[in-house]
Amino acid sequence: MNATLTTCPYCGTGCNFYLQSDVNGRLSGVEPAGKHPTSRGQLCIKGWNAHAFVDHPDRLTAPQLRRNGQLQITDWNSALDLLHDKLSGIAAQYGPDSLMFLSSAKVSNEENYLLMKLARAGYGTNNIDHCARLCHSSTVTGLVETLGSGAMTNSLSCFDETGLIFVIGSNTTEQHPLIGSRILNAVQRGARLIVADSRKIRLARHADLHLRQQNGSDVALLNGMMRQILQDGQEDTEFISQRTENFAALRQGVEKFTPEYVAQITGLPPEQIVSAARLFAQARRAMIVYAMGITQHSHGVDNVRAISNLALLTGNLGRPGTGVNPLRGQNNVQGACDMGALPDVYTGYQRVADPAARQKFSTAWGVQLPETPGLMATHAIEAAAAGQVRGMLILGENPMLSEANQGLVRKALERLDFLAVIDIFPTETTDLAELILPAACYAEKDGTFTSTERRVQRGRKALESPGAARPDWQILCALLQRCGLPAEYADPAEIMTETATLTPSYGGISYPRLEGMGLQWPCPDAEHPGTPILHREQFTRGKGRFSPVDYRPSAELPDADYPFLLNTGRTYFHWHTGSMTRRSHLLDREERQAFVEIHPADAKKHRIKERQQVKISSRRGTIAAAAQLTDRVPAGQVFIPFHFAEGAANALTNNALDPESGIPEFKVCAVRIEPC
Amino acid sequence: MLKQLTRSALEHLLQQTAADYRLQVPQRLADGTRQLAPYGSGELSLFGETPQRKPTSAFFPQTEPLLKIDSTGAVQLPAAAEKPLALFGLDAHDLHGIAFIDRFFSAAPADDVYLRQRTNALLIGLTGAAGPDQSFLPLSAGNCDIELIASNDHWLAVAYSETGEQLLEPFPDGDNDRLRALREETSSYRAIRPDSLQKASELLLHDRVPDDFWEAIAARCILCSGCNLACPTCTCFCLQDRQRADGTERSRVWDSCQLDAFMREASGHNPLGSEALRTRRRIHHKLAADPQRWGELGCVACGRCDRACPTGIGIFAVAEEIVKRYEKG
Repeated sequence: MNATLTTCPYCGTGCNFYLQSDVNGRLSGVEPAGKHPTSRGQLCIKGWNAHAFVDHPDRLTAPQLRRNGQLQITDWNSALDLLHDKLSGIAAQYGPDSLMFLSSAKVSNEENYLLMKLARAGYGTNNIDHCARLCHSSTVTGLVETLGSGAMTNSLSCFDETGLIFVIGSNTTEQHPLIGSRILNAVQRGARLIVADSRKIRLARHADLHLRQQNGSDVALLNGMMRQILQDGQEDTEFISQRTENFAALRQGVEKFTPEYVAQITGLPPEQIVSAARLFAQARRAMIVYAMGITQHSHGVDNVRAISNLALLTGNLGRPGTGVNPLRGQNNVQGACDMGALPDVYTGYQRVADPAARQKFSTAWGVQLPETPGLMATHAIEAAAAGQVRGMLILGENPMLSEANQGLVRKALERLDFLAVIDIFPTETTDLAELILPAACYAEKDGTFTSTERRVQRGRKALESPGAARPDWQILCALLQRCGLPAEYADPAEIMTETATLTPSYGGISYPRLEGMGLQWPCPDAEHPGTPILHREQFTRGKGRFSPVDYRPSAELPDADYPFLLNTGRTYFHWHTGSMTRRSHLLDREERQAFVEIHPADAKKHRIKERQQVKISSRRGTIAAAAQLTDRVPAGQVFIPFHFAEGAANALTNNALDPESGIPEFKVCAVRIEPC
Repeated sequence: MLKQLTRSALEHLLQQTAADYRLQVPQRLADGTRQLAPYGSGELSLFGETPQRKPTSAFFPQTEPLLKIDSTGAVQLPAAAEKPLALFGLDAHDLHGIAFIDRFFSAAPADDVYLRQRTNALLIGLTGAAGPDQSFLPLSAGNCDIELIASNDHWLAVAYSETGEQLLEPFPDGDNDRLRALREETSSYRAIRPDSLQKASELLLHDRVPDDFWEAIAARCILCSGCNLACPTCTCFCLQDRQRADGTERSRVWDSCQLDAFMREASGHNPLGSEALRTRRRIHHKLAADPQRWGELGCVACGRCDRACPTGIGIFAVAEEIVKRYEKG
């Protein structure tokens, strides 16, 4: 029985645990890290079962090449040669920007750094992105504009000292369970809780106020609260005058959002909006917590701006127990962004359009770098469907289930001249790949991951990878070498050393310093203790900027043909496209099939019974799923988790994109339901 | 048999034990967690809080291969370990927990998979001044092979089995008066279980806890299953079958009564179909059902579920709440 300390591979909370291995070197279980500041001896159900998928028989164990529709096993050298020949051939014939690279929020910082280097320095394109496009791209855009930094402003420890928590669009106990538990504990010790969510989530049972606003009406709700706060004279005038700018525009921008007007848009009683505003404004320390309910809209960036405005208006930034707290989804989605696996920035959000930044990376890597920002993942799908992107390398992502409008994604991936996928399991995306490369999973390699509170932490190898599977960093090094770039890293620690020299916010991060609790960036030098709370003395951008926004309706609302609003998301027991959790016995047993939550009144009207298979259709597709009758959803709304390939929610969703962040509108589209 | 060990004699005993056993000893791991780990793989931690992972996991691990059926239909059992296990560093709670599940798995029909690991295993208790900052840990009930009792700069060593006597044979005799004094200290020490557990048990057995109490507790449960997985007396498991190229592998995996599918039937009907019912079951099983079946509480008061619960509804917390609310009414 050996124990290897590592970071959980699931959500962005950043829990640490010990992987237990038996005398044969096989994983036998998980034990939470007792003294780690995030896990504190505790885990959620996925954490407790994080060992379960590792030795599943479906693991990919050899490179495979599709020939005449059949997958054939090949050796690594041939596979890597082919991959490089195909990518460089397409780049030579159609230009580097006909390639797209999708990185992964599941792989380490070092691996994200290498793939971003490979795309830019190896193949000459900024066309690199990853699934942050689908979750918090709105946050990065919105918060950089208003605060100067697109990350969670405060730390998880702040939940223990706040007076009020406003949770909007985050099912925290299910999606960040060890953060959700901190919220429940805060309520137990007397903190107030406002929950704004159309679904009756667990937190709502504990809330002083549960606002069930219509999906997509958040801007109206937030503007309404701000108008009321101003009416009541409850704004933090000192904070506004000393630390912010553009306040007059904000005051003007929210003026029309009277409780009655907001009530019309949100479906809430006007007095609830007034109550929410007063409750929030009275707290001396208030935290705003949000996630996909805010970001996944065609106006996701506006939603984020409105949240930032509310925090600025009430002075809830730069102090313990306050802050704008976007909860990042994947265990390394913060890190994948920090590492520049984005089309417009290098590591540490240094802009590719900035000649000085470009020069710096160009010098470090010894090659000329492309000037124009690359394609966002969602735009790359559109471009591939149109024949403009011709070659794609996907690292540990499954866009066939995770991107909006599956029909379009299938068309895009099928139209590619060449698709290669690196993954640990066969997925609906590897089904379309010409080349599949087997990767080591989190338990089989070293690396670092950055949690939602910007905590950079170690992942550690607990066992060997199966068959010929290799750590992603080794695969990427082999490709860098084929591109003629030096990539003689002995281990991931050396990659981090290179990253740190190029990335001011990671400048003081090195493997020896990460032992124990890790470090929270910004950590600019080797003596810096890390930064638990951002924007203390001044904002990253100097002054906090009010950025007033107007309400824009969602792109597709229910109508006579498609009378239900479809809300999509995740459940507690499964993770994203299910490739890991559906191969974990207990998690799979808990939820085995696709389902749709429907309100009992709607079910009665449509003669639908519990567990009955129903057909759900949107303008983009049709799926079948088992009905689950519950008042968790309001009448008129149905909710479908996107984990299940056999009832893929994203066959229905609308790829209407936010014009700035490119995020799809996963939280609102119109569907109809019929018995099968 | 009573012996006395110095620090170097203790090391000698452990070395001797490691020659014939797979010896696990308490160590301080990288983040500060205290846990049983293979002897020699890190620095020995001779005093501190109860090791984080329940020691029963050594005999009943979270995931455990049971058998393999190859393509001819032949059944293979996992290869027997070369040496039996020896666990060092068990306090009175943990020894009690092992005794509790020994009785459960040995009851007919005996669980041969458990007994394969447990038979011939050696248990070495560690009590006396072995708690955090060398605070006093009550002595055991003798349910081990050897008990080492930390006292000043040495350890009194009591053998409770023949194997224990053989291992302790080479060491000098210990001071019986000192042992007697420590036993007296143990009896004057607070009961090994907090009073609230016994009181809550009685309230449950007399049906004095209403349903709405369980609704309120269950509303705080985030379904992590940690209370069950951390509990040394929880013995529920489910079966996992995996088809591999060389046959089908069957394992057992720790289960949790807090999960909906724990008792969900194929029809979809669930006799434990609500969170409140499942939360009630968790506490009721330990404090009402176990006393009726075994004549003692199913909680050995190790504190692990209260530590593992992210929302503060471990068994101590719930028992205290029950007593506070319903003792007088």
